[in-house]
Amino acid sequence: MIRIERRLTQPRWLTFAVPVGSIVVAFGFMTLVLLLTHHRPGHTFVRLFDSGFSGTQSLNATFVSATPLIFTGLCAAIAFRMQLFNIGGEGQLYVGAITGAAAGIALGNHSGWVSIPAMIAAGAVGGAAFALIPALLRAFLSTNEIITSLMLNYVAALVINYLIFDSLSYWRDTSSATAKVFPQGKNLPEAASWPVTHAGSLVLPLGLLIGAVVAALIWILYSRTRFGFEVQVIGDSPRAASYAGMRTRRKILAVMALSGAVAGIGGASQDGDFRHTLDPRGLTAAGYGYAGIVIAALARYNPFAVCLVAFLLGGLQNAGYTLQGADFPSGLVGVMQGLILFCALGGELLVRYRIALARRSRVVEVST
Amino acid sequence: MILAAGGINNSILVVVFASAVVYGTPLLYAALGELLAERSGVLNLGVEGMMLVGAVMGFWGVQRTGSLTLAIAIAALAGGSMALIHAFLVVTLRANQIVSGLALTIFAGAGGLSSYLGNDLNIADQPAKHMFSPFLPKGWQSAEIVGPIFFRQSVLVYASWVCVVLVGLYLARTRPGLNVRAVGESPAAADAMGINVVKYRYLHTIVGGAFAGVGGACFSLSITPQWVDGLTSGAGWIAIALVIFAFWRPTLCLVGAYLFGAFSGIPFTFQARGILSGVPPELFQALPYLMTVLVLVLVSTAGARRRLGAPASLGIPYVREER
Amino acid sequence: MTAAVSLRGITKRFPGVVANDGVDFEAAEGEVHALLGENGAGKSTLSNILTGLYHPDEGEVRLHGQPVSFHAPRDALDAGICMVHQHFRLVAPFTVAENVILGDHRGEGKKFTVNPRRIERRVAELGERYRIAVDPRARIWQLSLGEQQRVEILKALYRDARVLILDEPTAVLTPQEADSLFETLRVMAGEGRTIIFISHKLHEVKAVSDRVTVLRAGKNVATVDTADATPRSLAALMVGRDVAIAQRVEREGELGEPVLEVVDLCAAGDRGGDALRNVSLTIRAGEILAIAGVAGNGQRELAETLTGMRPATGGSVSVTGKRLRGGDSREAIRAGVAHVPEDRLHTGVAPSLSIASNVVLKSYRGSTVTTGPMLRLRAIREQAVKLIARYDVRGGGPELPARQLSGGNLQKVVLAREFEGEPRVLVVASPTRGLDVSAIETVHGFLRDAASSGVGVLLISEDLDEIRALADRIAVMYEGAIVGELDAVGASVEELGLLMAGGSGE
Repeated sequence: MIRIERRLTQPRWLTFAVPVGSIVVAFGFMTLVLLLTHHRPGHTFVRLFDSGFSGTQSLNATFVSATPLIFTGLCAAIAFRMQLFNIGGEGQLYVGAITGAAAGIALGNHSGWVSIPAMIAAGAVGGAAFALIPALLRAFLSTNEIITSLMLNYVAALVINYLIFDSLSYWRDTSSATAKVFPQGKNLPEAASWPVTHAGSLVLPLGLLIGAVVAALIWILYSRTRFGFEVQVIGDSPRAASYAGMRTRRKILAVMALSGAVAGIGGASQDGDFRHTLDPRGLTAAGYGYAGIVIAALARYNPFAVCLVAFLLGGLQNAGYTLQGADFPSGLVGVMQGLILFCALGGELLVRYRIALARRSRVVEVST
Repeated sequence: MILAAGGINNSILVVVFASAVVYGTPLLYAALGELLAERSGVLNLGVEGMMLVGAVMGFWGVQRTGSLTLAIAIAALAGGSMALIHAFLVVTLRANQIVSGLALTIFAGAGGLSSYLGNDLNIADQPAKHMFSPFLPKGWQSAEIVGPIFFRQSVLVYASWVCVVLVGLYLARTRPGLNVRAVGESPAAADAMGINVVKYRYLHTIVGGAFAGVGGACFSLSITPQWVDGLTSGAGWIAIALVIFAFWRPTLCLVGAYLFGAFSGIPFTFQARGILSGVPPELFQALPYLMTVLVLVLVSTAGARRRLGAPASLGIPYVREER
Repeated sequence: MTAAVSLRGITKRFPGVVANDGVDFEAAEGEVHALLGENGAGKSTLSNILTGLYHPDEGEVRLHGQPVSFHAPRDALDAGICMVHQHFRLVAPFTVAENVILGDHRGEGKKFTVNPRRIERRVAELGERYRIAVDPRARIWQLSLGEQQRVEILKALYRDARVLILDEPTAVLTPQEADSLFETLRVMAGEGRTIIFISHKLHEVKAVSDRVTVLRAGKNVATVDTADATPRSLAALMVGRDVAIAQRVEREGELGEPVLEVVDLCAAGDRGGDALRNVSLTIRAGEILAIAGVAGNGQRELAETLTGMRPATGGSVSVTGKRLRGGDSREAIRAGVAHVPEDRLHTGVAPSLSIASNVVLKSYRGSTVTTGPMLRLRAIREQAVKLIARYDVRGGGPELPARQLSGGNLQKVVLAREFEGEPRVLVVASPTRGLDVSAIETVHGFLRDAASSGVGVLLISEDLDEIRALADRIAVMYEGAIVGELDAVGASVEELGLLMAGGSGE
């Protein structure tokens, strides 16, 4: 008979061993799946790794993939730390892309020093405002934020589609002949193109650096400030927080706004770093927001771990795009991500609980 | 305007109602399934993933075996298997139900297992060998008003009505139904009275997945009918919202499913008729989601929550031997 | 008499503690057998083993001489063992009838379908037969705690339980309701059933039981005939030393100015309706005012309203002459109202956070531990270390998560934190619930020290012994109002019991 007992103390090494172990186990399952479907696991994994991480070209491509994931990962981590399940990172990113693109187009004539910070700010404001909708509903009407933020993702996707495909909006390119037939977004002016930083032969997008800085700021905020202390208490015990005189409603609004703002910057980064236009099709197909939740959970909501995991999963994602084709299983990325997450969730159990095998009345402790 | 050429059966209202039933049926199946899972206290956000896997495996089933019955069975099995993963993680391993459900969506949904299978099984871009189509006598089908709405439907639709009744009776009038409601409201009480909480949660989550699989198969075997990556385009998420919209009651699921189905179908119908052409289709498409938010706000007020509310233990793992 | 229930050598361990250590226990048919012990002595664990909720690590259980092994609660229920827990195992939205038949799989229960009218009728008949009056169609959340307990007993009777275990059943009853319960139990024992009555209240044990088994620190220290025992001898067995029942310590010194003035305070309850109805009271500096009453008569709401966790709908609360707006816990904290809540683990502390974090739970905004918006973690840690030393908190250092502290040490942390805040008023609710005797003594000492340093203490407690030992004055609450106020010195249990049950003190 297997008994599961809560651990009294949580050994430090487990908090590292478990995520790493779950990735290993996930690879194990993946191998099984590949074998069963007549692909060659070793070959597939090597190709994955190559496309993802080996060589500067792969690394640079991975940086590109990882950048949005850092933002959406942080977005989820910020909110989930306080038990606010903001599933709306996807939609908040879209809105940030919309507002960021607007700023970029509007200020195109000015220098990069003006337009780029404006885009970042606009993206943040857009994402924050959109996140405030489920936040207000939750804070004042106790409405569950999971479903509301989820539904708003769809609304945001429809809005962004509308702006480019079904309207003659500010964002739509109406100049060229082809643009009248095939709808597409206006190209952002030169000045609104975000610069890259070169480190040797590595090319680091501005968004990546911003993401890293934001991660550090979030870490400081959550572990060293009064704000962060309140977030910790509210996340642990809302009753204790209200007992201690903390303003829970204000925190909900602030944390959700912050969460949305970060996702929004991610959206602006998509415009400025990579796509140089408002690209509904690309954004809605990518699913950055949902991937961010996975990343945040794997990283156990630690901002620095989010960056690391985003890099790893970004590599995976990137490899998936590159390798897409007849001889590479499509959908592999989703399956792998899912498996990693399942194993990590299962591993959580080992961190919090201990498995004891009991044979009748003798207790034999087996901790794995 | 309302009565266009072609008689009353071709009028806007009738067409909209008829398509509401068609588009609402997969929602109904998935919602009934999720309702069962949630009544036992398990929140499963992986509905979209389960529907897609059901859709792809159901399609493969009909291409491989030529039998629609078998195909539906396969779809149900596929959905149930996906749900089994979730059940194992959240019931036995006590994982966070939200993250697990999302993981399931990523694992099984578009860009995941369903795409993988769709690709590997070489079933894309083929028409279905057989599909579920209307089968009642032509005379009935062309009856005034009720014809297109009620009689020109496939057996999947009729079966869904039977399911609504069965699920409703099950919950309200049977012992297992009483037990599962107890498990969802107060697993500690149910456990103390000798009810096997783990068994009930597993069973209802898996059956929930089976329903979702059938819901997905509605697309690939009836509505579309083909396999396309990401076929369900968000129906699974609407189904989750639908359960809340229906206050966890099967009969209201029916009403809600058709309501949401109507809003899905309206844009196309209106566009084809040139009605309200100034209004962007996205507005209609956004309505189901906005309505869900509205309903959710109304349900969340404290008074409503107690009378109409969610099973009390929804989302919380049950641990018996915790000190 | 045959031993209906027999436990031999029962041992049960949990992480960090041996709850039952080689316990032997026997109860006969037709007997009311009390299981006496302090909180943490192992009574609940033993009964949970008997009802199949826990598995013993060692030892065996026999019913009528036959060894039995329960793998789940269902097995125990089938064997005829039913338990009425402290926290009822009832499904709130269900009706009484649905709860009574839940999980029953004999006879009527073998049917697949459920006919509401039929089961309601059956339950009504049962209630009439045993003179336990409850409306089978009522929903549990509509019932009072006393009525809910009756539903639990109906459940047992419906299953024709041969062994009935009650865990601290009178915690939610007035003295008069308790007497009525004892009568019911005697009727049931007269039918040949075995009643096991778990309690830590000596006078109850004397009143209702035939034999008493005393548990201490997980061991069975004695089984005696009740007739041969006195409260004093039982108490000695319970704590292992000769102890005097709670003594009053007379307060020295004068009382100061009023620090808390409550006038006509009204507040709404969670389910609509009035929880507080025109409550008025005054506490002076250095005074301990106790609120007595059966749980559920507004005490919790009173504590919450005074400390700002619940908004008032009428009346006023003034602290040292300053009137509070109400509904704002931060305002109350700033005004000098300290609060030791009933639920210390889930309200009084953030359980997963460290002791250090919990020490500054209310003071984290102060200048001693912050520089601008940044926390000074080292200063916080130092403060925690000092507090742990000064109040003798055992169990770990400042980084230890609060939930890992024992009940007594956790309460010390909470009291210490509240006291360090230099309050004018201290509101404490059920401060010694779940604590062992030495922790109780410590807490009582705390409260007396607080009073003598000029704090006005409002003590809310269900334990009349505690109240009579500590308080200067006693106010009794019934259905949201203060129905009587007495000087503690002359107050008798009968008088208090009468007021608690709604009678007038005459």
